[in-house]
Amino acid sequence: MIDQIRAKARELLESGQVSCVIGYEEGTRGRVRPAFIYKPEDVDRLVWNERCIHNLVVYLRQFARPLKRGEEPPRVAILVKPCDSRSLNVLLQEKQVERERVYVIGLACEGMRVDGQLQERCQRCEDRIPLVYDLLVGEKPQTVGHEDYADVEELERMSPRERLDFWLRELDRCILCYACRQACPACYCSECVAEQLDPLWMGIAIDLPRKWFFHTMRAYHLAGRCAGCNACEQVCPMDIPLSLIYRKLVKEVETLFSYKAGLDAETPSPLATFEKGEELPL
Amino acid sequence: MATDFEPRIVGFLCRWCSYAGADLAGTSRIGYPSNPRIIRVPCSGRVDPLLVLKAFLDGADGVMVLGCHPGECHYLEGNYHAQRRYAIMHRLLEYMGIERERLLIDWVSASEGKRFAEIVEEFTAKVKELGPLEGRLIDRSNPS
Amino acid sequence: MKVSTKDDLMAWLDRLAERYTLIAPKDVEGHILYRPVAGSEEIAFDFTKAALSPKEHFLPSTQVILSIERKGEGIELKEPSLERERIIFGIRPCDAKALRVLDALFLEEPIDPYYAERREKTTLIGLACREMGDECFCTSLGGAPDDASDVDLMLTEVEGGYAVQVVTEKGKAIVGDLPLKEVEGSPPKPIVHEEKVPIPELDAWPQHFNDEYWARLADRCLSCRLCTYVCPTCRCFDVRDYPSSDDAIERLRAWDSCLAEGYRRIAGGYNPRPTKMQRLRNRFYCKFYYYPKDFGPVACVGCGRCIINCPVNIDIVEVLRDVATL
Repeated sequence: MIDQIRAKARELLESGQVSCVIGYEEGTRGRVRPAFIYKPEDVDRLVWNERCIHNLVVYLRQFARPLKRGEEPPRVAILVKPCDSRSLNVLLQEKQVERERVYVIGLACEGMRVDGQLQERCQRCEDRIPLVYDLLVGEKPQTVGHEDYADVEELERMSPRERLDFWLRELDRCILCYACRQACPACYCSECVAEQLDPLWMGIAIDLPRKWFFHTMRAYHLAGRCAGCNACEQVCPMDIPLSLIYRKLVKEVETLFSYKAGLDAETPSPLATFEKGEELPL
Repeated sequence: MATDFEPRIVGFLCRWCSYAGADLAGTSRIGYPSNPRIIRVPCSGRVDPLLVLKAFLDGADGVMVLGCHPGECHYLEGNYHAQRRYAIMHRLLEYMGIERERLLIDWVSASEGKRFAEIVEEFTAKVKELGPLEGRLIDRSNPS
Repeated sequence: MKVSTKDDLMAWLDRLAERYTLIAPKDVEGHILYRPVAGSEEIAFDFTKAALSPKEHFLPSTQVILSIERKGEGIELKEPSLERERIIFGIRPCDAKALRVLDALFLEEPIDPYYAERREKTTLIGLACREMGDECFCTSLGGAPDDASDVDLMLTEVEGGYAVQVVTEKGKAIVGDLPLKEVEGSPPKPIVHEEKVPIPELDAWPQHFNDEYWARLADRCLSCRLCTYVCPTCRCFDVRDYPSSDDAIERLRAWDSCLAEGYRRIAGGYNPRPTKMQRLRNRFYCKFYYYPKDFGPVACVGCGRCIINCPVNIDIVEVLRDVATL
């Protein structure tokens, strides 16, 4: 697969079709990291393996503006896994990315591993090939995961007091570093509510009430938009189980509106629309 | 809990229907608890669910969002948007540890003064029973 | 060397916990953090490095530095102060050295009274590392896994217990009732990395300021500010006033980060570091050029937390090696 990726990257750069290929490369200490290839001779830096955990779609916003004043915004190529492709669809639907400016190299994926262990989110994954691509690399894997929301339901079965205690305990070690927000492709507000001081929403204090507010607020802003890529939980330095919040919302949006974000680039989020005369169980 | 606990309730009432309904309760001399601090907004669709979150963060024990009946919104669609948003916010709040009874979404028309008073009476009693939210979520704990 | 058994040590810590606020490494849902403990049984001994350094006990992530209360016709100003003296047990040499780095700024005129009070009212009991972690590079910055110069007491694990070294008067003052036995020999040397990381000299940095290297490095930066929060020497903060009740206002000091997009934005809206390249570059220059130039010590102790935690593998060791060859 990697030869095909490199060959395509070389072709795209040499022909001038794109200015940059966003992919993965080997980093230090056995880690893989995002790579930005600008020259054809550098394409051999690109790798593709089970350690390519990052969602690269988050980098598309930095290429939405021209690299030099007076020029057009650059065209880029990007490598996407199935989960990443769903978040790309969300950005396309919200008109944050122009489809013509992105060449999508879709990767068939058998799951990512950390220390040899298949990641939990990959065990649940129901899409094994990307939902949007210009070039599909790899064969569709036979094994498919299944999302049954078991851990979300376990939390739902607790009493409100138990749930509050659970979240206060988990969020206590949050340091409000905002890595989850920065890694999320859907969080592209130029000024986040968390940082607004006028009007004042959260304020600067790094304490439990504000940690609770931030995560609940961010979750609400992602309702109907979260594609379930799990980048947030991955980057958290304190291993806070953020996917428990976001998958709850994905579940509720699916139950209430039969909608899942990222399946295509046309259907808008149910929170941006409504049906006349509808009645919802509040 | 202390029997003299008076819940702090914030009410977002839409100018055209629910606020008018509250006014009607007043002019008809129908008594209702004085707990709700009422904030008049143009439409229930204007009530950003974050405002509800912020109300809880700043010390509210209960929040009401009252709008026009669906289909009767002065701006035609505002309350449909509100309905969808609060369907989600209700479930999210409950999941994050705030009892769903602390957030009330309801529809009150301008002629329903008596109903408004009943709603406030019932909601205040319910929140009083649940107890203060402050102390569990709101107290600012200094790490050192 | 003077050695104490583990049991004696635990009992001594329990006694100290009665008179002082004892802050020690504690397992918090799988992460080791320095937290106040009620007794020695809560202390985690088996760890390499805590997830966050004890910096948060000298420069808290959120701190009330002043409260302004309405009293009758006038107002009353109150500066909260530490109620009890504190002991931080189990601080690693790198984190202790980081406090010295912070001292160069906070204890220089005008002295920061909130930091100074905490520094003065705290006794540091260090715990030497048995070996350098994979991401550690303290030895490249003049430190060592068993460096005792920045703590009041240094403990090193030895057979049968812990070797106790009294470093300062402050340490001497609390160690009196810890039973110590004189034992032959000296504490084992920690295992260190052979290879050192080149730290470019001060005057090597200005010439690389406009190099394209920084833009390429910043391509993958998420501007998430994780590195600044886990770093034991990063120290930027914001100060704001917020009402705490109808009759009182609190002045809060909270961590801020130079990597935040709006960090340097000034009234009027101008932002001298609008791009993430400028902000990321600034972080390295602040550590290895601006801070040592202005205050003396290099603002890095080689703890490696930024390396462990950066989601996109921006590796300060790699950057230092690259800058040395630019």
